[in-house]
Amino acid sequence: MTDQTRTALDDLPGDLLMWVLIISELLVFGAGLIVFLSVRITDPTGFAEAQNALNRTAAATNTIILLTSGFFAALALNLRQSRRRGGARVSLVCAALLGAAFLGIKGAEFASKAAQGIVWDTHPFFNFYFLLTGFHAAHVAAGVILLLLVAWRDHVGNIEDATAFWHMVDLIWVLLFPVVYLLQ
Amino acid sequence: MTRRSLYIALGTLVLLTLGSSLLSFSGVWAKWPGAAAVVVMALAWQKARIILGKYLGLVQAPAWQRGFDVALTGVCLLLLVLYLAPLGL
Repeated sequence: MTDQTRTALDDLPGDLLMWVLIISELLVFGAGLIVFLSVRITDPTGFAEAQNALNRTAAATNTIILLTSGFFAALALNLRQSRRRGGARVSLVCAALLGAAFLGIKGAEFASKAAQGIVWDTHPFFNFYFLLTGFHAAHVAAGVILLLLVAWRDHVGNIEDATAFWHMVDLIWVLLFPVVYLLQ
Repeated sequence: MTRRSLYIALGTLVLLTLGSSLLSFSGVWAKWPGAAAVVVMALAWQKARIILGKYLGLVQAPAWQRGFDVALTGVCLLLLVLYLAPLGL
């Protein structure tokens, strides 16, 4: 490609369509968080009481697990680009296993809420809690499958796309975690 | 992206997460909720910037990184304002 035909889009690392997906997902979750905090204005005390039923330690642990998983995904791409296919595959499997651990903790969190009789319509807070974290968990599950698929079909382009998806899942969580769990 | 910068990114992300989590467990929130919220959102903003820059590779495209920074800053500020609104701050 010559300098005359280069556009700003060519500067984006990775696949353009992955960036379209990343921006779309950020808009969806961003809108969800904005609506969540807007509804909270009508009942801040009720939201704070409902939020106290959440397990912040488990959520913080899950954040570190997901960020470490993102590190293994980034490392996998780096290793594959250096033609170290075995190392890249191991890193992708590590990333997927940490993703599965995230889902395990999230599942235990949901089960604990159910055991306490807390369901999606217990309070408006829990509408958003189950919707946002549940939708995010669905993305994590899809990401784990993608990481395992590209560990098998390990073309550089495949790993680049799957790890970009995984970093998007990370990115959404680092915004969702403080808003849903920490802002008291 | 060098492997060393990936390790540094992970270490920073973990430290920022521990910082925001410890703040939420401390008594600071009861005394100064507004200040605590500003710190927690600033840490989240920085974590998101690291993921965009280092993990997603936007450091290689400075113009795009600036654009994402502006959008991310706007979203974090809006979330913070919505959180602070009922506090009357």
